Formats: sequence, structure tokens, C-alpha cells
Amino acid sequence: MLTIYKRELASYFRSPVAYCIMGFFMAIVGLMFWVNNIIGRSPQFADTLSSLGVFLTFIVPVITMKLFSDEKKNGTEVLLRTCPVPMWKIVLGKYLSSLTLFTVMTLLTALFPILIVFMADDSSLIGSAQDFGSYIAFILLGASYLAVSLFVSSFTESQSVATVSGIVALVVLYFMQSIGNSLGGTTGAVLKWFAPLARYGDFTVGSFNFASLIFYITFSVLFVFLTYVNLERKRWN
Amino acid sequence: MIEIKDLVKRYGQIQALDGISFHVRRGEILGFLGPNGAGKSTTMNILTGYISATSGSVSVGGYDIIDSPVEAKKLIGYLPEQPPLYQDMTVNEYLRFICDIKSVPLKERKRQLDEILYIVKIGDMRDRLIKNLSKGYRQRVGLAQALVGNPQVLVLDEPTVGLDPKQIIEIRKLISALRHEHTIILSTHILQEVSAVCSAVVVINRGKLVAQGSVSDFTSAEGTVNKFVICVAGAAGKSDAQKALQSTDGVRRVDFVRMDKDSYIFNVESEKNTDVRRGVFNAVARAGMAILELRPIGRTLEEMFIDIVNKEPVQSEEE
Repeated sequence: MLTIYKRELASYFRSPVAYCIMGFFMAIVGLMFWVNNIIGRSPQFADTLSSLGVFLTFIVPVITMKLFSDEKKNGTEVLLRTCPVPMWKIVLGKYLSSLTLFTVMTLLTALFPILIVFMADDSSLIGSAQDFGSYIAFILLGASYLAVSLFVSSFTESQSVATVSGIVALVVLYFMQSIGNSLGGTTGAVLKWFAPLARYGDFTVGSFNFASLIFYITFSVLFVFLTYVNLERKRWN
Repeated sequence: MIEIKDLVKRYGQIQALDGISFHVRRGEILGFLGPNGAGKSTTMNILTGYISATSGSVSVGGYDIIDSPVEAKKLIGYLPEQPPLYQDMTVNEYLRFICDIKSVPLKERKRQLDEILYIVKIGDMRDRLIKNLSKGYRQRVGLAQALVGNPQVLVLDEPTVGLDPKQIIEIRKLISALRHEHTIILSTHILQEVSAVCSAVVVINRGKLVAQGSVSDFTSAEGTVNKFVICVAGAAGKSDAQKALQSTDGVRRVDFVRMDKDSYIFNVESEKNTDVRRGVFNAVARAGMAILELRPIGRTLEEMFIDIVNKEPVQSEEE
């Protein structure tokens, strides 16, 4: 598993993909920081971070798009399926490599709250707990999005189809809470319960919600597992 | 070493394999023959655990590929039709990655890689990116990949396709050199390849096994009848030449093939196990003609193969 993980991670940084994603993300974060924190004169970075959630709907599929389609393109799918490594380890290795890239990308933005600390006249206004909580929430949200996007991409052999369908899936997921709200009733409640974004707020207030942590982890594990099941199923077709 | 039993594979409506059974003994090089689309690659993909069969079983070294995939896969080195290479890695990085996934012990790694690079002769390419390698070199890196971990069984799917004649000869030599330590299944539709390196042959067509045996079984089916082509020239005419040939002891049949400038070409068939060449020479000389060419026609593997493959559809209609 570690082997697959290392190879995938190295492969991200060998191609321009990782740098493009990170550069793009940092540019957006910088812009939001300017709007929210500089012009808006707010010392809270948590708000800025939560407004970035919508951008994840298309950044995340770009991160996961090549994980399976590249294997198909190189013909290395055969290699992975015929090597003495169980499929679940391969899937997990791939997932963790994308999660690592995402985490690195997210942690880079910590530059901005650090900047706030240095610029602040009155440090009591800075919500460090909220900021810290937001980072945990943001990474957990990313982890669940990555898992969904990985699952979607395991259905196709084409990189572009993987990306587009990943975006569609994540946009639906992103609006699931609002859809749930407008539907109301049991269906609405169920949708809301499953919406990863609905639990985001549990962390940003500066508290730590254990149940939500478990939700995010379970949600991610479930989709990684479904990815594995889907790939095993393909072997029989 | 390898046991394949009643393998059936259906892709939707298409029946790719229809009950194939054969086995490969330790140390054997099995030539796996068949026309395009016969099911060679499908069989190999099932054998190596890439895809699963609809029914039937495969066991390698006593391990079932479905029940104990990891153990079985450890015994197999597979070179698929398209070598499975990561374009963005160098040869060295790639082979080290393969060592990792095949869990080759760290201590052995360097020695083994050096040995493999030497065997497949890609030592001077080790720091090149795979995407910059030529087809022949990629094929060798693919073969190197199969050799990592020193697996007991090698499964090679058309290993010489797309190589130039010199490379083909090199790869064949290489495969022959590997026979001492490995059991090898080699699929191909190049028949010289089989006569050059294989000890046993399995022929499939339309998903069915149509023939199997040792290479000598296939080629020695000749000899029942001796046939040769003869080309004679001289002042005497065609009918004189034919008469002279026919009058020779042991000659059963003479067929005129064609005239070529001032020479005549005949097909001559003799009695079983009789060498009529001396008699023919004397008879032709007596008729005042000269022999320009005398060439025996053996039943080659090629003819054998075409016979078998052509016969098959007729058989299945009878069923």
C-alpha cells in the first residue's frame, strides 16, 4: 500500500497537475483573503476558509481524475491487478495520496491566518480556536469529497469523463443540504443527514464534535470501500 | 505447474472461451497458438488474475487464482500484450517500484535488478524516462518487469510483436535461456517462434482447444508421404520429362505444376519411406535433361496450423 501511495504522490509532483492545482487554489484563497479579511477588515480566517468549500467541487475531481484513468492509458491496470497486492490496498494507497496532496494544499493556506496574527493590533479578536477547527473541518470535508470523486472516477476510463462526472457529483453533494431544507419532511431530513457540508459548522465555532468527526471518516471510508467493490466487480465483466 | 480446467468466459453475448483445459509441466515452454481473436489474450488474462473467468478454474503451483490470489500471483511474471509501463518514470524507478509491489527483499534487490538489466540488455537505459524509449526497449523493460521477483512461471503475451528482426532473434534467445529456471507460456501467431523456442504447443481457435502436443508431434506428422518439387530443363519436351520421372522406381505420382522459361516444374510423390532422389536423377539424366532444383516439401508447422484452424468451423457445424 505504501508503495502505491508513494508512487502516486511522486507522480502528482512529476506532472504539472499538483503545481497547477496548488497555484490555482492559492490564488483563490488569496483573493478571498483580500475580500474577506483585508477589505472586510475581519480577523477571522474561518469564514474565508468556509467560503472556499464551493471551489472544492471542481478542484477535488481534478485531483482524483488521473488516479484510475492513467492506469488505463499506460496499460498498467494489468500490472496492478496481476501483482501480488490486494486491490483494497491499491485503492487505499491511491486515496491516501490524493488526501495528502489535498492536506498539503490546505495547510499552505495557513500562511494567511499567520499573516493576520502578525498584522493584528488586538490579538484578542483573533479566533484561533475557530480557525483551527475550520482547518480540521475543511480537511475532513475534502476527505469526503475526494472519496466520492474517487468512486465516481472508478466507473470510467477517460480522464475528462472522470472530471466532469466528479464535478456533477460534488455539486449535487454540495447543494444536498439546501435541497434537503427545501424538500423538508423525512426525505429532506435524510438528505441533510448525509450532506457532508451540513456538519462543517460543527467545527468552525471552535468546538470539537466527535460525532461529526466519525461521520466524516465513515463517509470517506464508505466511498473508498465502494470504489474497491466497483473495481472488483469490473474484473468479472 | 499450471492447471487450467474448463475455462469459460463470456462477455455479454460473446463467448470468448468455451471450455478450455490444458496443463503445463514444470520447466516446459508452451507455445500458445491461435489466429487473432481466438482467445489467447483472454486465457492469459484469466490465468494471471487480471480478469475472472465465467466458470472453470486456474491453479498455479497448486494455488487457485481466485481463492488464493496473492500466493498464486507471486509465482507469476506477466508480460501483457502492451507492456504495462509508467511513462513518467525512469527505467530504474519503475523496476524498483515493481520490486516494491512484488515485495522483493531489500537485500536481494540490487543484485536481482543488476542481473535482470544485464539479461534483457537495458543497463545503459536505466536512467532514461520510459516515455522516451523505443518500442523494442519498452518491450524489454516489460520483460524485465515480468522477471522481477524471479517468478517460477512466466506468461508472455506476444513478446516479439513490433520488434525488428534482430530484436526478435534476441528476445527468442533470451526466452530460450530462461527455460532452465522457469515454466513459460508464450502466446504468438508467429509459427517460427514456436519451432524456435517451444517444447509443447496448444492451439486454440474460436475459444476452443483444437490441438495439443509436443512440437515434434506436430512437425513429424510428415514422413507418411514423401513429396518434393523438381525443376528440370533440357531439349526433350514436357511429356518426356514426365515419363522419365514416372518410370522411376518408387515414384507414385507426378504432377506438372508449370513451365518456367525452358524448364518444367513437377510435384513428385513417392512411396512411404522410399528415397527416390537417386533414381530420379538417373532417369532425368538418361532422358538427356538436367535437374535444376530438387526440394523436399515437409509438412511444416504452418501447414499444420492452417489445417487445424480451417478444419475447426466444419467440426463445430457438425456438432
